[in-house]
Amino acid sequence: MVENLLDIRNLKTYFNVRGAVLKAVDDVSLTIKAGQTLGLVGESACGKSVTAASIMGLIPMPPGRIAGGEIFFDGIDILKLPEFKMRKIRGKKISMIFQEPMTSLNPVFTVGDQVAEVIRLHEKLSRKEVRGRVIASFRLVGIPAPESRVNDYPHQMSGGMRQRVMIAMALACYPKLMIADEPTTALDVTIQAQILELMNKLKAETGASILFITHDLGVIAEMAQKVVVMYAGKVMEAADVNDLFGDPKHPYTIGLLSSIPVLGTGKKQKRLSTIAGVVPSLFRLPEGCLFNERCTVAQADCSRIEPPMRDLGNGHIVCCHRCN
Amino acid sequence: MRNPEDRHPFFDQIEKLFKNKTGLAGLIIITLFAMAAIFAPAISPHNPIENALYDQLKPPVWEEGGAAKNLLGTDDLGRDILSRLIYGARVSLTLGVVSVGLALTLGTLLGALAGYYKGWLDNLIMRFMDIILAFPHILLAIVIVAYLGPGLRNAMIAIGIINIPRFARIVRASVMDEFGKDYVTAAKAVGASDRRVIFNAILPNCLAPMIVQASLGFGAAILDAAGLSFLGLGAQPPIPEWGAMIAEGRAMILRAWWVMTFPGIAILLGVLGFNLLGDGLRDALDPRLRD
Repeated sequence: MVENLLDIRNLKTYFNVRGAVLKAVDDVSLTIKAGQTLGLVGESACGKSVTAASIMGLIPMPPGRIAGGEIFFDGIDILKLPEFKMRKIRGKKISMIFQEPMTSLNPVFTVGDQVAEVIRLHEKLSRKEVRGRVIASFRLVGIPAPESRVNDYPHQMSGGMRQRVMIAMALACYPKLMIADEPTTALDVTIQAQILELMNKLKAETGASILFITHDLGVIAEMAQKVVVMYAGKVMEAADVNDLFGDPKHPYTIGLLSSIPVLGTGKKQKRLSTIAGVVPSLFRLPEGCLFNERCTVAQADCSRIEPPMRDLGNGHIVCCHRCN
Repeated sequence: MRNPEDRHPFFDQIEKLFKNKTGLAGLIIITLFAMAAIFAPAISPHNPIENALYDQLKPPVWEEGGAAKNLLGTDDLGRDILSRLIYGARVSLTLGVVSVGLALTLGTLLGALAGYYKGWLDNLIMRFMDIILAFPHILLAIVIVAYLGPGLRNAMIAIGIINIPRFARIVRASVMDEFGKDYVTAAKAVGASDRRVIFNAILPNCLAPMIVQASLGFGAAILDAAGLSFLGLGAQPPIPEWGAMIAEGRAMILRAWWVMTFPGIAILLGVLGFNLLGDGLRDALDPRLRD
């Protein structure tokens, strides 16, 4: 057993678009230990989902390509695996939960069939055993009356139920790593809380690691032990969840945290602070530090020299000239 | 919302098809033709290829000079028109099944490959389809039959080939449409191979347009075959093929209208039936249209 279940080293995923090279993921490194939940946070289009797709080997090539780096899963560099071997890992050892439960299920098959398909792809079991496993997994994710629900079509289920089906599908072969790409973004808040609670419970039961992708810091606080903050394809800060929320170092992280509204203090609320400007287009990235144009503490060198990754101890890594 | 009892959704679809009036009408016509084809030896009053030299060109029973022995009259060789029509259903349905089967299989395969892999393969396949489409339909069939030699079997092959593009195009378009959807990515993410993604995940979602196209194709195939037979390139005498019957009766239209009118009506009803059935099936089979 390797210490880190997932170890991404200097991953570079580039896309060739209209003659330009878009560095969707640029030099990203992160590790997940067995049984750990890592939260990957960032604004839209910062490379979170591309990182996930790179791990799954689902980057459309062309236009995409892995320009460099390694992804070690359980000690094996999965970027070097041929497609037929990668297929055995997908769904079996690494599974994925998608953002849109409404469209991620195939509309013409019953949900039971779709979960059964995953099991049949990876394990040789009789029809009856497969059905038993499907019903068991439905029960595990808290779908009521699983024996009859397996015969439902996706359109007969609500969004929350569908996301439970997606989770059942992701769990069907007891994976070591689950990648959850904004699994609760499309759900309303009460259902969101139920799904998060369910995922925490299942993680405790199965011992799976989770790579949890979201732009919602509140969700991260609830789910993750470790947090990686991404911005424009790069890692800005990585730390344990307590360090990150208690003692954020990077101006971007600080900005994100102060943009969360605080309710119920009784006093007249201050105007909610925001981060000025917008995420730079990948077509025109700024020189030096990617965040310098929006940064409140930027100085001259920030717009010239790219800041190095600094280890502040206790696994707290930050990419900023101003943090020491 | 939910099925009260644990019955297979297939039955819901059948029920829905029965509730749809046009679909039901098509289904009834096709069923009648299919029954005629299956039980032809039992229900046809005469042998369809037996000449009766004393009963030449008898009019239908309701015309003056008609007799109950030949309900729809006889042709110039004294063969019973009704019997020939009943056996003709056999020929036409077989022909439809074989040629649509051929076109559907090859067209689906080519269309799915083109739509899924895109790029040069797509260009290669679809430009080839364009070449087929550039020729007038029946002309190309004539060329193919001329090359293979006249006969029912070669006519089926020719009609199959000229109908490949219609399926390839529709399947390609549907596959491209489905390709970007999340469930396709999800299917890949659980470790399905390209083949499985295409055939087990995407194609079932393209079924509705394929079914409509297949039933329209069925009608078109019957029509094309009748055309080829009319030109003497399809069914050879004495096979009771509807198109061939029209050709044989053509010379006598003024003397004996019934010889070519009834096969014409049979073709019309057959084509109409398949078109109506196709529409009904589309409404019934697509789960997205279900309530």
